[in-house]
Amino acid sequence: MFAKEKTVMEENRVRLICKRTVVSTKPVEQGRLYRFSVFDHVMEPNHIRFVYYYQSSKTREPGEITKKLRESLAYTLNCYPIVTGRLVKETDGTEENRWKVKSNDAGVRMIEARATGTVEEWRRSVNREEELKLVHWEDMYHLPYYWSTFYVQVTEFESGGLAIGLSCTHLLADPVCAMMFIRTWADLTLTRNMMTPPIFHSLPPRRFSSHKLSNNQLLSHYIKYCSLTAPPLNITEDHMVTITLLFPDPMVQSGENEAGLTAFEILSGLFCVCVSRAKGKRNELTDMSLCLDVRKLLRLDQSYFGNCMVYHKVHYSKPVKAIDRLLLLSYVVQEIHNVTKGLLDYHAVMDLVEWLGSNNNNPISNGSDLVCTNLENMGNPRPMMFEEDLMLSHLSCYVEGPVAGGGQVIVLPSSSGDGPMSRVVMVSLPQREMVKVLEDELLQSFSPVLLWRLQNKKINKD
Amino acid sequence: MSQATMPDFSSSVKLKYVKLGYQYLVNHFLSLLLIPIMAIIAVELLRMGPEDILNVWNSLHFDIVQVLCSSFLVIFISTVYFMSKPRTVYLVDYSCYKPPVTCRVPFATFMEHSRLILKDSPKSVEFQMRILERSGLGEETCLPPAIHYIPPTPTMDEARSEAQMVIFTAMDDLFKKTGLLPKDIDILIVNCSLFSPTPSLSAMVINKYKLRSNIKSFNLSGMGCSAGLISVDLARDLLQVHPNSNAVIVSTEIITPNYYKGNERAMLLPNCLFRMGSAAILMSNRRSDRWRAKYKLCHLVRTHRGADDKSFYCVYEQEDREGKIGINLSKDLMAIAGEALKANITTIGPLVLPASEQLLFLLSLIGRKIFNLKWKPYIPDFKLAFEHFCIHAGGRAVIDELQKNLQLSGEHVEASRMTLHRFGNTSSSSLWYELCYIESKGRMRRGDRVWQIAFGSGFKCNSAVWKCNRTIKTPKDGPWSDCIDRYPVFIPEVVKL
Repeated sequence: MFAKEKTVMEENRVRLICKRTVVSTKPVEQGRLYRFSVFDHVMEPNHIRFVYYYQSSKTREPGEITKKLRESLAYTLNCYPIVTGRLVKETDGTEENRWKVKSNDAGVRMIEARATGTVEEWRRSVNREEELKLVHWEDMYHLPYYWSTFYVQVTEFESGGLAIGLSCTHLLADPVCAMMFIRTWADLTLTRNMMTPPIFHSLPPRRFSSHKLSNNQLLSHYIKYCSLTAPPLNITEDHMVTITLLFPDPMVQSGENEAGLTAFEILSGLFCVCVSRAKGKRNELTDMSLCLDVRKLLRLDQSYFGNCMVYHKVHYSKPVKAIDRLLLLSYVVQEIHNVTKGLLDYHAVMDLVEWLGSNNNNPISNGSDLVCTNLENMGNPRPMMFEEDLMLSHLSCYVEGPVAGGGQVIVLPSSSGDGPMSRVVMVSLPQREMVKVLEDELLQSFSPVLLWRLQNKKINKD
Repeated sequence: MSQATMPDFSSSVKLKYVKLGYQYLVNHFLSLLLIPIMAIIAVELLRMGPEDILNVWNSLHFDIVQVLCSSFLVIFISTVYFMSKPRTVYLVDYSCYKPPVTCRVPFATFMEHSRLILKDSPKSVEFQMRILERSGLGEETCLPPAIHYIPPTPTMDEARSEAQMVIFTAMDDLFKKTGLLPKDIDILIVNCSLFSPTPSLSAMVINKYKLRSNIKSFNLSGMGCSAGLISVDLARDLLQVHPNSNAVIVSTEIITPNYYKGNERAMLLPNCLFRMGSAAILMSNRRSDRWRAKYKLCHLVRTHRGADDKSFYCVYEQEDREGKIGINLSKDLMAIAGEALKANITTIGPLVLPASEQLLFLLSLIGRKIFNLKWKPYIPDFKLAFEHFCIHAGGRAVIDELQKNLQLSGEHVEASRMTLHRFGNTSSSSLWYELCYIESKGRMRRGDRVWQIAFGSGFKCNSAVWKCNRTIKTPKDGPWSDCIDRYPVFIPEVVKL
């Protein structure tokens, strides 16, 4: 298990075969316009990229699996007219010039590529820039009507394995529904049956009579952060690096006994504490926002397609004394738990929806906060498999744009082989902070496994 | 108001009955003449008693030599007649290629690709959009995979793989439908106008299916969209010479190498209209196939207007200003097509039209030419000669023009319009898709006559007349099987993109 460390100055291991457009198999009803919800509009300048890595136990002809995936993608797109449509800005009297999707049946772009080596070798030696070669993205053209909002890339590894990259604009989808898209596609490829087709509709109106909350922290966070325009300077100067860590059992390691805590809460708390120390803050904790899915709160099904994740800042009610780090961790986790179980409730979210609908035209930015995104439940109930022998070995997620803040921690489900409580965390931080975080003994006490290497540096690996 | 319309209506009804009566009289003239004669003979026979009949019979003096000579004469004449009669050529069955759904090209995708590839000439993109809006094509037409790439990669390898995909699939389907074994094919004709590699496409078919070494194979290229009927003509002539044989014809057009990458407007039209398709046809002159054959070939008329310069240059493949090769369609294409059609009709009319129409046409001709009367030229009513029409789906304008010239109703041209909508212009194989449409709608009955008309570069107009041999059940599979219930659709003049 040792491959000699490959340097970053590699020649291009990913070779582009072709770029084409995949359309649905049935023509769509022409001319339908889909409007975006307020959550969609507020996320406009960002985009998401996912890479799914699969290892295969069967050898295949090159191009065979790509062809099969292309066909099943065409069938999947029959249920996603919004994904195959194009953005238009149309004024229709009541609304001003906002984006809408015209379902014109144009399709999504698909890129086919080949890469040398195996998935394992790739994962051991690449960094963020290289990984992004597995997921194609194009910024909006000056003619948005010809710009595809979704890009799918299928890269076959010559010695076995497959990488599927999906990138899309945040205006249409959040990470939850992008992952549901991959799940639907995988189900259709494997079983020829679509088990969780997407649901499209506008956000449901308020259920009970409206009463504005007196202290709506969620709303105040949005009010403040929607008017932030440019990100602070120090973010653009520092080079961001991304690493992936596997935590085998964060709940046990933390020693937390309180019921109702989730692994996400513990891991976000952990990173908050470590990043604060890495930033050199002695008596205060770094600003942190949690990105949480509110579909359940709004009684929406998980297959609701559209943005439904909100950013909630964590407020520290008591002043902080940084003596016992475990106690500090416990305190932060408690504050996070208050947000997820207490402060974030139906009325807070509905107030936000109403405010966004009437007062706000600006997208949200997370400034230089640390953003922790909860995607830990996306591995249930069954893994996303395209074929019987393709095992999902790893999943990477990137969110780019003003909501990325000053650092990201994305908590993802882990492959089934690692135990039900294990989690994979993708951490993106400025390089200086990342080095310090990885050396932090509190982090090391959770026995994380470093799944990737940091570029150009050798790090102690557990 | 109603008073004024009533006389019109009743007079048009009266006129209709007059016409019907006249047609019945002239077309069944001989049988109408025979009835009174038979009646007279029957009356005579009944008047004479049985002894009188016997007397007449005995007076005939049948001599053994006379009997032998007259029967010998009868046998001789009938043998000469049967030997010199041309062999009947049957169309046993045919199959049309159904492109996979993943090759579908909706208008929006086509326009988007055009825009991305022709970044520097937005006017050409606008022009293509206008053509597509008025083209009569639908959202389910298909282009080969190489044209789906951005930018398209029309290499020779891709062209060959498209040829293999469309030809082999159609042939496999034909073998399955007819139970034909590849080694039993005697004659193979492949026609594909714009792609002609070495070894030829017919050699490719022989290689794939391991056909016999003494097969008579032909590869027709460069003959345009009417090459399908030219192949049928060739097969018919060969089947006259070779007894007890069958012939397989493959008609296709390979789109991959011919995607025009420039921005000359007259040359962009084929990009918008031509789509992927092919057909494989089995023809035979064996008597054993008489029972299972679908159609019998009655006539095939070929008209070539190449002697006229304007007709010759109207569909011309050339390089544009930038050196990119494309097919230039001239503006008077419709007029030239009309003239070619007239020449073809003049030849085929006497072969197929009933006597009533021919008489009227003759009278009108005599009146105009000899007596110089100012009559309009009489257009014979071809609806009396044929039950079904298959007009090459070259484009909406061609079908409109022919509908006007031949005075056909919407239902007669429905097969052509719907084929254009569902499959686009598949060049020489479009006639077969149209025939398949008519069969899929369950309209083909025994004895129905079908007229296939094709136009091609040169300028050629070829027509074939088939007679249905047995009532055809609606096919369960085939290119129309999954969508025939949605047709006919209403195709608007202009589709808003």
